[in-house]
Amino acid sequence: MTGTHTDTATEPTPPREDGGPGPRAPGRSRRDLALLIMPTVVLVLLLLTLSTRNSDLLTADGLLALADSAAPLMVLAIGATLVILCGGIDLSIAALAALSSVLFAMWIPSLGPAAAVAVVAVGGLAGAVQGLVHVTAKVNSFIVTLGGLALWSGIALVISGARTVPVTDIGAIQWAFTDVAGIPSAVLIALAVVVVLGAVLRLTPAGRWVRAVGHAEQAARLSGIPVGAVKVAAFTASGACAGLAGVLLVARTFSGAPTLGATLLLPAVAAVVVGGTAITGGLGGIGRTVVGALIVIVLRVGLSLVGVDAGFESIIYGVLIIGAVALTIDRAKLDVLK
Amino acid sequence: MDDDTGTSTPAPVLAVRGLTKRYPGVLALDGMDLEVRPHEVVGLIGENGAGKSTLLKSLVGLARPDAGSIAVRGETVRLRGVAHAASVGIGMVFQEQSLVPNITVAENIMLGSEGAGVRGGLFRWKRMAELAQVQLDKIGSAVSPRARTDSLTFAQRQMVEVAKVLALEERTAHEPVVLLDEPTSVLERDEVETLFAQVRRLRERASVVFVSHRLDEVLEISDRVYVLRNGRVVAEVNPAEVDATDLHHLLIGRESTHSHYHDDAQQEAAGEVRLSVRDLQTAGCDKVSFEIHVGEVLGVAGVQGSGREELCRALFGAVPRARGQVLLDGKRVKLDSPRGAVLAGIGYVPSERRTEGVVSAMSVKENLSMAHVGAVCRGPMIDGRREHDLVDKWVSRLGIRTPSGDTRIGTLSGGNQQKVVLARWMISDHLRLLILDHPTRGLDVGAKSEVYELIRELAASGCAVLLLSDTLEEALAMSHRVLVMKDGQVTACLDAPRGAKPDPVAIMEAMV
Repeated sequence: MTGTHTDTATEPTPPREDGGPGPRAPGRSRRDLALLIMPTVVLVLLLLTLSTRNSDLLTADGLLALADSAAPLMVLAIGATLVILCGGIDLSIAALAALSSVLFAMWIPSLGPAAAVAVVAVGGLAGAVQGLVHVTAKVNSFIVTLGGLALWSGIALVISGARTVPVTDIGAIQWAFTDVAGIPSAVLIALAVVVVLGAVLRLTPAGRWVRAVGHAEQAARLSGIPVGAVKVAAFTASGACAGLAGVLLVARTFSGAPTLGATLLLPAVAAVVVGGTAITGGLGGIGRTVVGALIVIVLRVGLSLVGVDAGFESIIYGVLIIGAVALTIDRAKLDVLK
Repeated sequence: MDDDTGTSTPAPVLAVRGLTKRYPGVLALDGMDLEVRPHEVVGLIGENGAGKSTLLKSLVGLARPDAGSIAVRGETVRLRGVAHAASVGIGMVFQEQSLVPNITVAENIMLGSEGAGVRGGLFRWKRMAELAQVQLDKIGSAVSPRARTDSLTFAQRQMVEVAKVLALEERTAHEPVVLLDEPTSVLERDEVETLFAQVRRLRERASVVFVSHRLDEVLEISDRVYVLRNGRVVAEVNPAEVDATDLHHLLIGRESTHSHYHDDAQQEAAGEVRLSVRDLQTAGCDKVSFEIHVGEVLGVAGVQGSGREELCRALFGAVPRARGQVLLDGKRVKLDSPRGAVLAGIGYVPSERRTEGVVSAMSVKENLSMAHVGAVCRGPMIDGRREHDLVDKWVSRLGIRTPSGDTRIGTLSGGNQQKVVLARWMISDHLRLLILDHPTRGLDVGAKSEVYELIRELAASGCAVLLLSDTLEEALAMSHRVLVMKDGQVTACLDAPRGAKPDPVAIMEAMV
């Protein structure tokens, strides 16, 4: 070696340091803004279109009824949003909600209204277990929760004998379908979830950690963020939300149904992505999912108004999910990951 | 640089004119001009960030230049990708090898252009092996085309890469241009000799562009050498007329490096031991022991594979199953998670800034407070005002050029991003040890100098610094002591006080 000063490390490439492909800086924020506003615009347009068919829809009562029927889906989708923000996916939520509805109906005779608390706790516990398996055994969240989906629906079927479990003591669930100051209590419960989890996401370190993990897990980890704990917490919250959604569903139908799950997963995931939360993680929030859930419900109401067969609903969810993900996906990130 | 393009020189095979490429915050190529003639070996040298990699990427269609032209045998081409570049006769041996490990050598050589090796969608193994053997024979390689690629040594795989690139000439009816990107960086000396013999043989049937950071090797093998700096060609030299020292001055572009590294700011380290490492054991790191004192910068030198990256990561708790006794100010530190390390007062600046250093989709503010967000909390909530004030203070203190704290950090230049990452750790009052993994990688000269100044300040305030440098020069200039690693073990530890820096040659010897 005669070179007196020779590099000891490999040559870095400028693109690795500073440029993903394509222009990022100016284009992105405008796109983000569009993603933020678009769902609301779509919701308003949908409502206006439907109100030409049914003029009652845009009255206060009509909108409240809409919100009331959206409440369980909203709570379910908000939980899923937390996991998606972390960069994962929770496919077990609908099955867990179904199991929760069965447990709630079964526990009311012995526990009364307090059964709701127990059910939410069980939901949270189930979510935590899935989160722990995901984090410690390093199994994809997709796989863990797909297994969870089968597991929770199976348990629900077994303990209910594959039948709907009717609620005998309606008084014990009165609180969940009553009106408070003219507003359905289910809407208030959903609002409370929005406010609490929204505040956690926006105002606390935990919320910021969730987004950092979703955007760039490795960078988050190397900043000392407890990535594993953040993820387990997100799964726990998602499970608890599923439990609460199960309770709200029982309050609508007066029975626990082990097969509910089959019809809830697609609308919930659709609500998250249609609201504008990126399936790639990091980007999005609770508020967007609220709008997304409303869009899904308004669509559902609208379809029945115009007399479209219910079988088409599933087709529309499929198209909606793919379309919304295509619009919101963070392509810059895919380049880094691949 | 048209000084020797007289009538006697043959028409260039490859001519690059005014090539310009801009990445956010970096002008990677700034009007680069060079040419490659038939049957010659052209050396390219330049410091990190000089534009070597971007130039090569442009030549194989992996980067689209913003301006300028590339002409192959007189015809201007707009390269769309590796396959397109191959079709006009430009092939590249990548620094990070591009062979598929679990298939045979023959499959790799013919990959993507199997031709007669496949009929009816099925491999004809015998034919494949014959076709691959033709390429291997060209460079006189003894590797069997039927060997599984992952059973070969690194040097053998390098040869297979060359053979793969040579397969080009069957398809283009021209002699190809072969780009070799840092082909020697992980080779032993005798392997380098073998490679050079092949390159000389290659010259009979191709033109070669040889990129290396080892100046003596470039001088040995090249017919002509271009010196690159800041995205331009700053000199074209004849290897017979210069020596490594001349080249070095051309490379750096300055006689003195004194002020660049803020040498005067190097202060004596204190006596107390800040970090004591005993028998640290992890993948790639074998029973490493050393100490860092309060206010000391300890440089770690070593080639790729020396284990110094692994050492850094292990100390930060970022690799699983690291064992050994690590005491920080006399207290035992567990190596189980970065979180634990941060809580113990350790900070880490990773080398991959874009994927590991910053969360590029989040704001300057959020990135800056990321590791110590507790410091700006009131109760369980983040106190927006306190965070804002803290960020403002550090943005102005470090001279971070950003429109505001709410700007997305990915839109800043590399240097400013790096300053935010440094500030992330500096905001903590109890930062005891900062691990810097190639902190100036990809930064321009001015930004580098600013980072050096910050390192000096940190050390002066008593923080211990573990520094992995891009260049040996940087390690020597910045450190109080230099630890040399080779094959996962510490081979030397040299004092490097101000004004009496050790001889780089001594360090080199311990490195390789």
